[in-house]
Amino acid sequence: MDLSLETRQDNGRTIIEVGGEIDVYTAPKLRECITNLVDEGQVDLVIDLERVEFMDSTGLGVLVGGLKRVRTHEGSLELVCTQERLLKIFRITGLGKVFAIHGSQADATAQQS
Amino acid sequence: MAPQPLGHIPGDVTIAIARDPALVRTVRLVTAAVARRSDCKDAVVEEIRLAVGEACAVMIGSDGASAGSSEQVQVVLSAGGGFHVTVTGRVEGDDPGFRDIGLDPWALLGGLSEDLMVHEHDGVTELRMSWPL
Repeated sequence: MDLSLETRQDNGRTIIEVGGEIDVYTAPKLRECITNLVDEGQVDLVIDLERVEFMDSTGLGVLVGGLKRVRTHEGSLELVCTQERLLKIFRITGLGKVFAIHGSQADATAQQS
Repeated sequence: MAPQPLGHIPGDVTIAIARDPALVRTVRLVTAAVARRSDCKDAVVEEIRLAVGEACAVMIGSDGASAGSSEQVQVVLSAGGGFHVTVTGRVEGDDPGFRDIGLDPWALLGGLSEDLMVHEHDGVTELRMSWPL
């Protein structure tokens, strides 16, 4: 399954709903999406990973790069993820302490407002 | 000839791919199929699939640095006293997002396989990993 990206606005934040596989082939598409949003001035991002079926360190690298990018604009990048297979990756790499990871989009947008 | 016991794979399975990020998904799919046929539990199949995909991703990279190279990345899958994976190739991937936070290229793999071994010789890296059946 390829990567799917859908964006929408919610409570002043930009939600990116990601589906499919974030790997060495598809991760550049997510990077481009984040870069374009930030360039347009949308610097408060919530990335929903609930429909992601696979992610490797290339995907983690894109998320970290996105976090650094929004922070330079005093923005935020938070995640929605409840899948154990993905949460394990964040734990192994220690990135679970770097990102705010929420259980739902409602939680993410509510806590940022 | 005596029939092979269920789950036994006669011989290793070898996959060799060009250094094209688009091909890594195919390697993951084949790896998962071989692991399932070797009677690995579902959770272990998922770990193996992630580990092999991760190893290929680090070697190939997403930045196109190795595009056009004639050298391949080779994955050997072997079931016998455990499920064993050997990945061999040149490491040319370089993701600044991962590097900038101080993580080494094998940080994720080290957490997925308890006995990850990394050997480098003449610029060629060989990764060995194994899981119990």
